[in-house]
Amino acid sequence: MSEFDAIVVGAGPAGASAASRMASSGLNVLLVERGDPPGSKNVSGGILWGQELSKLYPDWEKSAPLERFISNKVTGFLTDDSYIGIDFRTKKFEKEKTGYSVLRTKLDGWLAKKAKDAGSTVITGITVDGLAWNDKRVVGIKQGNDIITSDLVVLAEGANPRIAIGEGLRPPIGDHDVAIGIKQVVKLSEQVINERFNLRNGAGMAAEFSLGFLKNGVKAGGFLYTNKDTISAGVVIDIAGLRKDNSTYSFNIMDQFVSHPYIAPYLEGGQLQEYSAHLVCEGGIDYVPKLYGNGYMITGDSAGLSFSNGMVIQGMNYAIASGIAAADTAIRCKNSGSYDLDQIAYYDNLMKDSQAIKDMKNFRGISKVTWSPMVHEFIPKFAESVLNGMFYETGEPKKHLMEIALGSLKETGYDRKKLIIEGFRLMRKM
Amino acid sequence: MVLEIVVMVKQVPDSQEVVIDPVTMNLNRSMTRNVTNRADENALEAALQIKDKVPANITIVSMGPPQAETTMIECLARGADRAVLVSDRAFGGADTYPTGLTVASAISKLDHFDIIIAGEESSDSSTGHVGPGVAEFLGIDQITYCSKIEFSDGRVTAERELEDGTEVVQCPTPVLVTMLLGSNFPRMQTLRRKIDATKKGIEVWNLEKLGLQPEWVGVRGSPTIVRRMQSIKERERAKKPVTLEAIPDMVKELYEKNILKVK
Amino acid sequence: MNIEEKLSVLNYKTDPTYAHITVKPDLCEVCPDHFCTFACPASCYKLIDGKLNFKYEDCVECGTCFVACSHGSVNWTNPKGGQGIKYKLG
Ligand SMILES: Cc1cc2nc3c(=O)[nH]c(=O)nc-3n(C[C@H](O)[C@H](O)[C@H](O)COP(=O)(O)OP(=O)(O)OC[C@H]3O[C@@H](n4cnc5c(N)ncnc54)[C@H](O)[C@@H]3O)c2cc1C
Ligand code: SF4
Ligand code: SF4
Repeated sequence: MSEFDAIVVGAGPAGASAASRMASSGLNVLLVERGDPPGSKNVSGGILWGQELSKLYPDWEKSAPLERFISNKVTGFLTDDSYIGIDFRTKKFEKEKTGYSVLRTKLDGWLAKKAKDAGSTVITGITVDGLAWNDKRVVGIKQGNDIITSDLVVLAEGANPRIAIGEGLRPPIGDHDVAIGIKQVVKLSEQVINERFNLRNGAGMAAEFSLGFLKNGVKAGGFLYTNKDTISAGVVIDIAGLRKDNSTYSFNIMDQFVSHPYIAPYLEGGQLQEYSAHLVCEGGIDYVPKLYGNGYMITGDSAGLSFSNGMVIQGMNYAIASGIAAADTAIRCKNSGSYDLDQIAYYDNLMKDSQAIKDMKNFRGISKVTWSPMVHEFIPKFAESVLNGMFYETGEPKKHLMEIALGSLKETGYDRKKLIIEGFRLMRKM
Repeated sequence: MVLEIVVMVKQVPDSQEVVIDPVTMNLNRSMTRNVTNRADENALEAALQIKDKVPANITIVSMGPPQAETTMIECLARGADRAVLVSDRAFGGADTYPTGLTVASAISKLDHFDIIIAGEESSDSSTGHVGPGVAEFLGIDQITYCSKIEFSDGRVTAERELEDGTEVVQCPTPVLVTMLLGSNFPRMQTLRRKIDATKKGIEVWNLEKLGLQPEWVGVRGSPTIVRRMQSIKERERAKKPVTLEAIPDMVKELYEKNILKVK
Repeated sequence: MNIEEKLSVLNYKTDPTYAHITVKPDLCEVCPDHFCTFACPASCYKLIDGKLNFKYEDCVECGTCFVACSHGSVNWTNPKGGQGIKYKLG
């Protein structure tokens, strides 16, 4: 007999959700987290998109530690000395609340407490070393000299899954699976933030930029999210581009972003509260490994279940969704009294029908496009040049828009054939 | 015979997270989380090292609010056998005198003890009073500021770091020892022990259980009162660029001002 | 603010008994790119007089170097429980 029905490794959104769901259905669950307290190892931008948590906690919007609801979205480009942005505000965002800014130590602390309240045994400050096997079946976990047994193990280790890789349950991560995320949290008063971003009543802004000022094929996106009385500013860097260039320091990209002439004023006078970095998982559907096997399931970032188009990142919501799906599978196994492989395969079915996988399928190959020079070099330069042509007062009669555009196209020095191919790809993906 | 060791621990705000508010110059504790006082981890490790060699039972005793349970569980997960949290509203606001009294009476309620080990001081108040105070209340010997302790033949042998050497002290049990911060490397918690500890929980003793009077403990039993806290602004100091040539003159100046002495 | 100053606001519980990441000096010695020095967001990898110097104490456990080093020099493990970086916001 196993000690636990299920053991969950990692108390991020995926693991804590899985544990909570299983425990509230009466399963005997162990949740182990290496950070103490939970969340102290984790980094997000972070906007929690969607309503995934309502499936676990109907009143989550009242009780979860949410910073601000997102009332406006900014998408833009930054070049050496310009800022081009679309600031989108709609009453719909205020009514429907599509996303909330969050800070992970608070959110993860709350999620872990919820899992504990639901009845799971929550252990923090312990690193799980590996899995225990018996006859090609996972039968528990290893820590130090001990083995703790369970009928199922749910791996929710995050973007750098040492166990899943170490035990050969998924291929190692490479340049295509992940990007480097770096973030700074800066303290400002609630009032100053409201004034600077034109916000009120708990509303917040989520801005993402393509960093067109980077040179030599280095590519990165930047984000700026408002919390209650802090601002999260960060960059997500493409590893392949950085590797090719091999002369740009990742931490300098972070610095360049926050000292950009049109970003710095937003952060002015703010005190740095935290500097952090974490891998962002964004390989897309082609890099999602097999999600289950004899005795185990892989969830969240560990399974590459994150979606990014180079700027917006959705990972926490998919992590929660996959945690719930893994839990529902475990509950089904427990009720049927069978933990055979074909029972565990139910997890795969649930995931296939999930929004996460659907989104990722729709955007198959998106990272090729979003990390393309088209988005990171051409569009910013082109837009800057066109806007300069339209608005810059030269004293001469204004040119026709088409004329400006063609002139700008020349100015970017971009190959037209390449442009058409990449432009076509971009249109298809969007 | 099983040696009975008591380890005194305290949960404190993480000193690395206590920041000074640049505007008010006050300690800003709003962002701090609680951790086990580091020197107490060294005390527990010293106890565990004795237990590695002779049969022993380790009981953790702590006075603190209910959330100190996490610290107690941590100690159990490192290898302690039993944890007693002394917790009651009446204990709130205690200075070091009633704290010593309260902890001492908790320890005297245990069936038996041979060695009591405490950290040299807590990082949040840095008095170093409580360990010695407990020894006084219990009327036993004490060896403070130890870097190393050993137990054999009913005696504790302790090394004390002094300014220009090491003092080795021997003392029969019962004895109270305080351990220096960083005197050893505390071992890790294990998952197995932490699961067991979490399931079993800890013992919580209140005022009634200790049989103390409310006016002896907490803020009422405290002879000292904090009237005022003051942050001191650092004095601007004169700065001189250091060049290789200027060093002899600088040394000379320090010598003349009696700041540097030659032995 | 330079990277050292930024790291100084962080809270670590450093484990003096265990380096959770190690590199193989013989591989780094002949490394053609030293990409780790550019990739690591905490500047734990530095080239000093042409030699790679690695400090695990400043590591924020992001995982980048494990991917960045394409020569198999980086051995990456999680720190022991509760040790290492302790974010207070995340
Ligand atoms: C800079 C950045 C910005 C992001 N922005 C957003 C955003 O705006 N919106 C969004 O939805 N997503 C965002 N993401 C992605 C999001 O953070 C992840 O998708 C999400 O955290 C994945 O959840 P998870 O539960 O799978 O993994 P994690 O949250 O990483 O949790 C894994 C947990 O497992 C623990 N663990 C790992 N190994 C062990 C072990 N061996 N033993 C014990 N415990 C272990 C870890 O300590 C950790 O707590 C961002 C990520 C980054 C880095
Ligand atoms: S760690 Fe890898 S990339 Fe860095 S110097 Fe060594 S071999 Fe080169
Ligand atoms: S894990 Fe990240 S912070 Fe740590 S050494 Fe590697 S790259 Fe640097």
